Amino acid sequence: MSVLAPIICDNGTGYSKIGFAGNSDPSYVFPTAIATRGPASQPTRGGPPIPSKPGNVASKRGVEDLDFFIGDEALANAKTPGYGVHYPIRHGMIDNWDHMERYWEQTIFKYLRAEPEDHYFLLTEPPLNPPENREQTAEIFFESFNIKGLYIAVQAVLALAASWTSNRATDRTLTGTVIDSGDGVTHVIPCAEGYVIGSAIKHIPIAGRDISQFVLNLLRERGEMAAVPPEDQLRVASRVKENYSYTCQDIVKEFRKYDAEPYKYFERYEGEHSVTGRKYSIDVGYERFLAPEMFFNPEIYSSDFLTPLPDIVDDVIQASPIDVRRGLYKNIVLSGGSTMFQHFGQRLKRDLKQLVDRRLEASVVSSGSTTKSSGVDVDVISHKRQR
Amino acid sequence: MILLESHNLIIQTTLAEKIAKPSSLDVLFVDFDGVRFHLSTPEKKTVVQLSMNIRCWDELVAYGAMQILQREYGPLIKQQTEPEYNISLDIDIDQVPADEESREAFVKSISLFKRNALAAPFELAFKQQKELEASGGAQGQLMQIHYRDEEAIYIQASPDRVTMIFSTVFREETDRIFGKVFLQEFVDARRQPSIQNAPQVLYTNRDPPLEIRDLAGLRNTDDIGYVTFVLFPRHFANANISFNTISHVQLFRDYLHYHIKCSKAYMHSRMRHRVAEFQKVLNRAKTEVATTERKTVTGRTMTNR
Amino acid sequence: MSNTLRPYLSAVKSTLTAALTLENFSSQVVERHNKPEVEVRGSKEVLLNPLTISRNENERVLIEPSVNSIRMSIKIKQADEIERILCHKFTRFLMQRAESFVVLRRKPVLGYDISFLITNVHSETMLKHKVVDFIIQFMEEVDREISEMKLSLNARARTVAESYLTAFNS
Repeated sequence: MSVLAPIICDNGTGYSKIGFAGNSDPSYVFPTAIATRGPASQPTRGGPPIPSKPGNVASKRGVEDLDFFIGDEALANAKTPGYGVHYPIRHGMIDNWDHMERYWEQTIFKYLRAEPEDHYFLLTEPPLNPPENREQTAEIFFESFNIKGLYIAVQAVLALAASWTSNRATDRTLTGTVIDSGDGVTHVIPCAEGYVIGSAIKHIPIAGRDISQFVLNLLRERGEMAAVPPEDQLRVASRVKENYSYTCQDIVKEFRKYDAEPYKYFERYEGEHSVTGRKYSIDVGYERFLAPEMFFNPEIYSSDFLTPLPDIVDDVIQASPIDVRRGLYKNIVLSGGSTMFQHFGQRLKRDLKQLVDRRLEASVVSSGSTTKSSGVDVDVISHKRQR
Repeated sequence: MILLESHNLIIQTTLAEKIAKPSSLDVLFVDFDGVRFHLSTPEKKTVVQLSMNIRCWDELVAYGAMQILQREYGPLIKQQTEPEYNISLDIDIDQVPADEESREAFVKSISLFKRNALAAPFELAFKQQKELEASGGAQGQLMQIHYRDEEAIYIQASPDRVTMIFSTVFREETDRIFGKVFLQEFVDARRQPSIQNAPQVLYTNRDPPLEIRDLAGLRNTDDIGYVTFVLFPRHFANANISFNTISHVQLFRDYLHYHIKCSKAYMHSRMRHRVAEFQKVLNRAKTEVATTERKTVTGRTMTNR
Repeated sequence: MSNTLRPYLSAVKSTLTAALTLENFSSQVVERHNKPEVEVRGSKEVLLNPLTISRNENERVLIEPSVNSIRMSIKIKQADEIERILCHKFTRFLMQRAESFVVLRRKPVLGYDISFLITNVHSETMLKHKVVDFIIQFMEEVDREISEMKLSLNARARTVAESYLTAFNS
């Protein structure tokens, strides 16, 4: 008898990606949300439906905890009286184990229709996940579901493996630097031979949400947003970011190009008022290349975080053990929605290469040696499965 | 969610998606009881091939599964079955009914693929019962379906009833004890006046019931149990009722295991709550230690992480 | 509280309070080591007489005092198979989290279900009577929790069985 396909369950802060090994796409992608009976905002109570009065347990029903929805159904039921929507994962880590356990329960039995006894599972965890969390996850899967076996992989390492689908990746290595930029926060994670170098990880407080906000600010300053209803503005901004933005190679040249031929480069975004249905349209201009520019020149957006992304990447690699640095420079992998900008990889590669070359040159000069360094390869891999 | 559904959600959603927007496809997935599916577009984007592998296929064919699938899917069944699978369907997206309602019904019927294949012995038993009742025969043939490695369903028709026996094996101690509690309740629940009409349920541990006592190769260990459902003619009086009954009975084992797991999850959430309570009590015992900020010579603070 | 439980708990409480007279005590064998003597069992002179308090044959408490630590083990009532498995699950769940329950031992003493190990460090950083209160409250609640879990398991099983069988009527 052939072994049944292992189940892959990637529960992220926003969305869960669930499916079977061997397929190229997840079978389900739905929000990591659970709608349970009872009000949504009661985080202190800790959740379990324990009867308040002892002795009340023999209450006839006894299965209130089966009354819940997950994923898209949860959001659909958010408005149903009596239900409250919870997000059991916060910042990549599981926050409410009761909800998570029930979320998995329904994932397996309703959506995948698999018997957990017959399957192996692959779960994911964020970098620097405390071992207690891993223990609790394993406790749930082995005790509640009696699964056959389990592997908990670090998301960054899987991102490295995902980059193998790119035709640029020549050797299938698990050494590399992962730049993971989602909606909330951007991580730069060095991995060596499949292990995360925890001490060198760095976080950047710029991610998708900040970029949308920046685009919104720019549009507002130019007065484009006047026609857009206030409640739609952020959504329009994020739409503009997703559809029109790209990374330029040189800001000054780009500005000049736009000023010389505005009609060629300005785009028009057409929208519709979500309530009244009134049409509106806005001009999309400099924000097309300024939005991703936040990563390379953060001073255009914030005053407290000023280190550009290439510098951070360089710092991270320099903080890693010396014998893996070449590998880390050579295989920089992009992952997450906010790295999807056009030419993002090329720009990052160019800036980082400049940093590295400058340092090499300085060291050649200061050592006074006549032998030249052979240089360090810098390569940024972008591929189709970044998100 | 208390009851499990009998259709496969992946088939339903994927197929509905592909009908709306044909594109190439190649996915493998499973259903309860180790059934494997392969949904693919081998030749062109508009023809979706769905293949299924069931462990007990040969037994099902012997009890007339082909006729039932022929009845349900007719021309969709492919002559050439995909290798490693037992049966393949070809769904031509251009032939799918256009209007919303009949299209949904069509997709739904495809997603009942496994249910329909597994329904064969049940339908056969219902038919036999009618014949025996008419002819006054003694006992129908005892049908065995080894739908899992260690567990099987036995079905036998008699002139006045159809008996179904599920053998259940619990691999784990906790499951075995929880399972026992649940099965005992299945036996007792029928005393409720509201469910007097439900089939009679019997449960024995270790000793096989009379009907299958003579079978060879039965396990004789402590972890095995036998659940007997006695269905009376009213449970399959007409096509509609018997359809429901079959769908329902098929999922008995999965239902049982699902609820054992849910109970364990519930126990876990109780225990987590209790641990938090105990923690609070214990924290009350801790004395307040005056925390002074300690600094090193260079001015760095020491913190406990 | 049933009438035999009260004297049982109060006996445990006073014995435990009396036994919790611990002092810092360096190892007599190895320099700069300081180990709970009740676990090391290196020398007889620092161990005191162990003591058992029984409520009945199924419920008892073993208190093993020593100069710098005491070990207390509880045997929890288990009337049948279900209570046995629930008790096993519950104690294991707790012991899995022994890190956060500073006084909990990760493994029970042989013949008991759960053990606590209180050392002089604990009695110095925590209020003695509160620790005793914690253990007494634990003993009270563990029985109740297990019987509640059993009841809820039965109630669930019944509901589950009923909803399955009711579906035949439709």
